[in-house]
Amino acid sequence: MNLFFQNIVNGLTLGSIYGLVALGLTLVYGILHIPNFAHGALYMVGAFMSYFFMVDLGVHYWIAMLGSAAVVAVLAILCERLVFHPLRNSPPIHDKIAAIGILLFLEAVVQMFWGADFRRMTSPFTGIMRFDGLIIPEQRALIIVGAIVLVIALQLFLRKTMTGATIIAMAQSREGAFLVGIDANRVAMMTFAISGMLAAFAATLYAPINLVYPAMGHVVIMKAFVIIILGGMGSIPGAIVGGMIIGFAEAFGGFYISSSYKDIIAFGLLVVILSVRPQGLFAKGAH
Amino acid sequence: MLQLRNVDVCYGSFKALTDISMSVDSGELVVLLGANGAGKSSLFNAISGLNKPAAGEIEFEGKRLDGLKPSGIVSSGVVQCAEGRKLFPMMSVQQNLMMGAYVHRRDKAGNKQRLEDVLELYPILREKADQPAGSLSGGQQQMVAIGRALMSRPRLLMLDEPSLGLAPLIVRQMFETIQKINRLGTTVLLAEQNAFAALKIATRAYVMENGQLVMEGDRDTMLGNEEVRKAYIGA
Ligand SMILES: Nc1ncnc2c1ncn2[C@@H]1O[C@H](COP(=O)(O)OP(=O)(O)O)[C@@H](O)[C@H]1O
Ligand SMILES: [Mg+2]
Repeated sequence: MNLFFQNIVNGLTLGSIYGLVALGLTLVYGILHIPNFAHGALYMVGAFMSYFFMVDLGVHYWIAMLGSAAVVAVLAILCERLVFHPLRNSPPIHDKIAAIGILLFLEAVVQMFWGADFRRMTSPFTGIMRFDGLIIPEQRALIIVGAIVLVIALQLFLRKTMTGATIIAMAQSREGAFLVGIDANRVAMMTFAISGMLAAFAATLYAPINLVYPAMGHVVIMKAFVIIILGGMGSIPGAIVGGMIIGFAEAFGGFYISSSYKDIIAFGLLVVILSVRPQGLFAKGAH
Repeated sequence: MLQLRNVDVCYGSFKALTDISMSVDSGELVVLLGANGAGKSSLFNAISGLNKPAAGEIEFEGKRLDGLKPSGIVSSGVVQCAEGRKLFPMMSVQQNLMMGAYVHRRDKAGNKQRLEDVLELYPILREKADQPAGSLSGGQQQMVAIGRALMSRPRLLMLDEPSLGLAPLIVRQMFETIQKINRLGTTVLLAEQNAFAALKIATRAYVMENGQLVMEGDRDTMLGNEEVRKAYIGA
């Protein structure tokens, strides 16, 4: 019972992180049709920024998280303005090449300042919560609650504000959005900013139970791509459900099969799900 | 009100419009006739700023439109209801209409009033207000599209083939409401292949062929014109 519960907590934790990263990726893909391979690098920069704010500047975890989200949001906007915007009329392959360029560039810059070492970032939430024999580490509880809060906040923003509605409008009909006078540039910058912030939040939440290093984005971004493909490209519920599926599969698969096959499970599931539902779980348009 | 001078539009090396000069005066209902591929949508999209003219000038109420962003053109009062409607299919009818008010989003009271006016023009939309726009019939979707354009408070409303794919009875009602919108004070530029129905409500018309304007005249002249009758009315 206890071990089973532990696996559920682990599944939820992983699923929350993967879901947040995939959400940013799917927003940018669904609205701007850019497969942003550099999204994992934004996640990595998010972790390093929090590390920098906490360890080098000595600010509190929460402040570090907000600071990191702000920095990565600006960085994401810069990527859009300086790289993807000038390429908007080019063939799609140019976006992909440019994204990989950004990825390599950001990793090199981070490595220049911090080196390639693995670093530890401790949060103030190191305790363990006990409920009647069941235990949940505080940081894991924080990750799960944090993800829920962020998803709700995103939904409220998209559904209840006019600014959020412009993003949904652009996703449902680009031309329709132009015809009512929505500014494509504003939507593009906003989408990148949100996507970057989600990545920074996810990285800062996850870093205390993981390690911080320049290549930390690789596995995460690969899984995020698996998630948005199996969830349905561009679908918000698809990213969340897909994230949970992969998170749970890894937690349980890693425990009951073998933890060395943990990373293969995601790709195995992808093959299985796509052979049954080639369009993904939530077909495009499930916004 | 609207002035085009020697406008060219190109897609790559293909010249879709050549040397278009035309005008629409305040209060008019001007019809743009042309077969499929003549260039009607290309002209509308150039005026709306969706594609930039390769040459020429577009002026509205004395102000240059070419070079403005689509959002700036909507704010200036030139609004297009596009071919194929371009609705937000998963948003409700009401949300679609309210998105039309995007450039006037700060004037909440004005938008509410405007929404009432649109629902009065199309009472059926009041019943469908909470349904996704994509679930409506073709005729109702066209109403949403025109309603959304009206929510942008156009002084010039451009309608691109609003009768396309609709049943004859629905088409007749559609033209009646377009005439009504015009009579209530909105200048209309209407692109159509359905020449007879369109000319009946028109003040003036242009005929476009292969990206060029080949004829212009008031309604009676056009209805009486032998070539127009042969090419577009089939009589
Ligand atoms: N985006 C585009 N790219 C290339 N050619 C286009 C594009 N849009 C329209 N055309 C061409 O321009 C011409 C005019 O098309 P269009 O303006 O859609 O005519 P209409 O609306 O009168 O049917 C056609 O030959 C069409 O094939
Ligand atoms: Mg057309």
